[in-house]
Amino acid sequence: MKRLVFSLSILFVLSLALNDRSAAGNKSAEVNMSYVGSEICASCHAGLYDAFVKSVHGKKMIPDSPANKKECESCHGPGSEHIFKPGRKDRGIVVFNSQIAAKERSSKCLACHEESKSLAFWDMSKHKSSDVSCDNCHSIHYGTEKYLKAAEPDLCFNCHKDIRSQSNKQSHHPLKEGAIKCSDCHNPMGGFGMKMVKADSVNELCYKCHSEKRGPFMWEHPPVAEKCLNCHVPHGSNHSKLLTEKVPFLCQNCHNEIGHPGTIYTKLETFKGTASSGKNRMFAKACLNCHSNVHGSNGPLARGSHWLR
Amino acid sequence: MLLVMILFSLPVSYSFAYEYRIEPDVELSGKLDDIEGNEAKFNEYRDIRDGLYGKVHLLYDSNYYFDFRASDIGYDTQHYKLDGGKWGSFKVYLDYFEIPHNFTFGARTFYSGTGTNNLTYPVHPPNTDIRTWSTFDYSVKRKNYGGGFAFDMIKPFFIDVAVSREEKNGIYPMGAAGTTPGGIAIELPVPVDYTTDTLKIEAGYTKNPLFLSLSLFLSEFENDNHKLNFRNPATANTASTTDVFTLPPDNDYYKLSFRGGVKLPLNTKFNLNLATSRATSEVRLLDFLVDDVSGGRVPLTLSDKTFDGKIDTQNYNFVLTSNPVSFLDGKVFYKYYKRENKSDEITTIAEEGTLTNSLFGYKKDDYGAEFGFRLPASLNLITRYNHVRTERKREDVPVNKDDIYSVNLKWSGLDFMTLKVGYEKMHRGAEFHPPDVAPDDPEFINTFVRRFDVAAKDSDTYKASVDISPAENLNFSIGYKNRNTDYKDVSLGRRDVKGYEFDIDADYTFGKLAKLNAYYDYEKVRYSQFQRRLPFNATSGFYPSTPPTPAAFNWGAKQKDRSYEYGIGADIYVIPKRLTLKLQHDYIRSNGDVDFTYHLGDNPLPPGRTQDNIDISNWDDYTLRTYTVKSTYNVTKKLSLSVAYVYEKFTYSDAQLDGYQLMPATTGSNGAFLTGAYKDQSYRANVVYVSIAYRF
Repeated sequence: MKRLVFSLSILFVLSLALNDRSAAGNKSAEVNMSYVGSEICASCHAGLYDAFVKSVHGKKMIPDSPANKKECESCHGPGSEHIFKPGRKDRGIVVFNSQIAAKERSSKCLACHEESKSLAFWDMSKHKSSDVSCDNCHSIHYGTEKYLKAAEPDLCFNCHKDIRSQSNKQSHHPLKEGAIKCSDCHNPMGGFGMKMVKADSVNELCYKCHSEKRGPFMWEHPPVAEKCLNCHVPHGSNHSKLLTEKVPFLCQNCHNEIGHPGTIYTKLETFKGTASSGKNRMFAKACLNCHSNVHGSNGPLARGSHWLR
Repeated sequence: MLLVMILFSLPVSYSFAYEYRIEPDVELSGKLDDIEGNEAKFNEYRDIRDGLYGKVHLLYDSNYYFDFRASDIGYDTQHYKLDGGKWGSFKVYLDYFEIPHNFTFGARTFYSGTGTNNLTYPVHPPNTDIRTWSTFDYSVKRKNYGGGFAFDMIKPFFIDVAVSREEKNGIYPMGAAGTTPGGIAIELPVPVDYTTDTLKIEAGYTKNPLFLSLSLFLSEFENDNHKLNFRNPATANTASTTDVFTLPPDNDYYKLSFRGGVKLPLNTKFNLNLATSRATSEVRLLDFLVDDVSGGRVPLTLSDKTFDGKIDTQNYNFVLTSNPVSFLDGKVFYKYYKRENKSDEITTIAEEGTLTNSLFGYKKDDYGAEFGFRLPASLNLITRYNHVRTERKREDVPVNKDDIYSVNLKWSGLDFMTLKVGYEKMHRGAEFHPPDVAPDDPEFINTFVRRFDVAAKDSDTYKASVDISPAENLNFSIGYKNRNTDYKDVSLGRRDVKGYEFDIDADYTFGKLAKLNAYYDYEKVRYSQFQRRLPFNATSGFYPSTPPTPAAFNWGAKQKDRSYEYGIGADIYVIPKRLTLKLQHDYIRSNGDVDFTYHLGDNPLPPGRTQDNIDISNWDDYTLRTYTVKSTYNVTKKLSLSVAYVYEKFTYSDAQLDGYQLMPATTGSNGAFLTGAYKDQSYRANVVYVSIAYRF
């Protein structure tokens, strides 16, 4: 721990000593610019301007919208210098691409949207700390619902490629079918939940759709009651029911009691196996053929406590 | 309905003071399919069949607006959504959608009453001629009705209200042991008739420097069937004296939460989240159980015939974020979460013993800090540490202490390239309490078991990725992640999980001619476990170090999953902005196996077994191939035509389902009456569709 604190202190001092002052430079440059009006912008960027007028940003009935401010220059800044610098680099205005730091791009959006309820916890967002800016996901002029640059989940998969791969597995939530969205569970704008989930615990999130699992049951299965993710993965699995690994091994990892829980179940105990007895249903759903109430039971005695009824 | 009337009436009165636009567009598609094999798997979450599919979008936009969207009209995936309101003042929405989940079509059972909570058969034993059994589908459909409104006109105050009802209906496969232990398994088609009503109200205030929000979430779950009565073929159960399988109880849930944030000097913000919730259920308990032999009902003495379930949770989050100087982001956080089980403890007395349910609860304290440093040379370093202490009411491991360290470095020194590397280490300490039983008690085996969900472990994750865009029309990325977890104190149970994955993506645009894309993902995971086999009546030999005998020995299993997928596609602009041809091929493959090892010492393997014939080579193996050809022709700016052909082939093989038998045996530990749930999942499908879209 001491070593960690020491390392962080060194980094802090290093940053302080070597930090560049580009932000200050940008501010002084802006002082000499002036607004030219959106008609000038539209003369070159007619398509973009038309889209802006139709968009939510072009609504004059929204009191603080860009339409009631400087229109295009509300976000892009004064355009006087841009008129003489229409090229690809150093265009003289704020452009929403990687040439400008993510924080600076987001600040343009936050100037109006900071007080939005959905952005109340943006400062806690993993996206913010990872230098993801608003315009990485949102298009200011065009777009789908919420002005996203692409529909979910493809938009999210642009960065979260491991999740794309998991979601394509044979057992998955209906994400790629479009029945649910990433944002049904996650809040990309930040929040208190781990992994930006929209709940205070994993189980609370899962119970929103799987309310029958909420119980409360007389016989609880502690790993189930504590965290669904002990046995399930959220995005996709090769194994049915989004299980982390296949039954019976998943169960045997915890249950090695005498008799059938600790027994070795091999290929010979399957439907096609040659074992003449003691298969104990290594076939079909294996343990779950009998112990199917693993999420909780109100059954009598051991039939309930062992999830058999 | 009232909301709709308001929505439709208001624009008529006021809209003409402003410019408005109406944008309706419709799309009609005809689909023809040819499916061989398992249609339920093909349509697991879809409803693709021969017929006409409609899609409608109607937008009215002025100072008031409404936006209506409908898709898959009349199908199991239909979705309707109406958004409306007045810009800057209020928003309303109405929503209806369906989600099917198909498991198996054409399942079979000797029971009558499938779909109800009474399963019976006329004469004992049941007819074993499966040709006489009835067929049914395992399928569950969700229907969700929702609506809500939000007021912006009272800024800086806000009120959001959302209500929904979800109806879930269908049949789902569950199972019960006919007799226990060692009896047959009975697969039961369980009726699903659930209704969940939810209400969320949130009100608050948001104006710099303050954000305050108070919200109430209510959820009421109702199950039409609390018990499934079934005639048990393992006993001489009569049609009138049935066995009982318990189903999820009704429950009520509320959550009250307060969230807030306040800006402080030095670009600092303090955020908090305080929440409390309660879930309750009330269950009339069974005061009998069915005798394994006679099938008659044996009375039980219960300390209380009604189980009152009550789970309370408390959650407190405190987070201080700060960006005092441009190159430093800091975050300090604390989270407390407690799950308290205040349910009834019920003692049940019967001839076979006395049993009292234990009440599981836990609490977590999680605190830590995260610092992000924007270093010179376009480096961004994020370091994080958190400590989690978990205390739970559980005999084996009542306390866990987790220390999690992570460091992530991002370099974006070149306009066209971003490089990221990261490392995370987790160390979990566990206070293990061995069972307090005599060495000849069967429970003594648990002295050596460390259950993976709470076992002490060390976990290391390394990751790296690079995104390169050397030209505006070329993007390339590659990512790698390696994860190793060692359950270091484990004698019996899961010992380690090792795996890695990588992905490669590229896309390239040929001017106005075409856009190409390709990807490849690979993942390999290996689970290792070590177990001990003992006979059912064992009173000794629990120590894993005991010399093996043919009946008492250790064994191990290594499960490996190798998955990969790739895709290649092209959007070819045959006539730019007029005719586009889309070609796409995707391939997904999973190859799993299990490698068993008997640790028998000098003892021979059981008769008929060799180290080779026991291993499993098909363990959820599957391939999914998809080919898509689609052509879209924009006849005019308003009218477009599309023709598409999709070929999809899914091949599935698994040792547990290969050679599926509805009745592998009718008695003993090989016995089961199954229904065919999840069998034969392979399919092959050809789908052709033609669609016409018109934008008025």
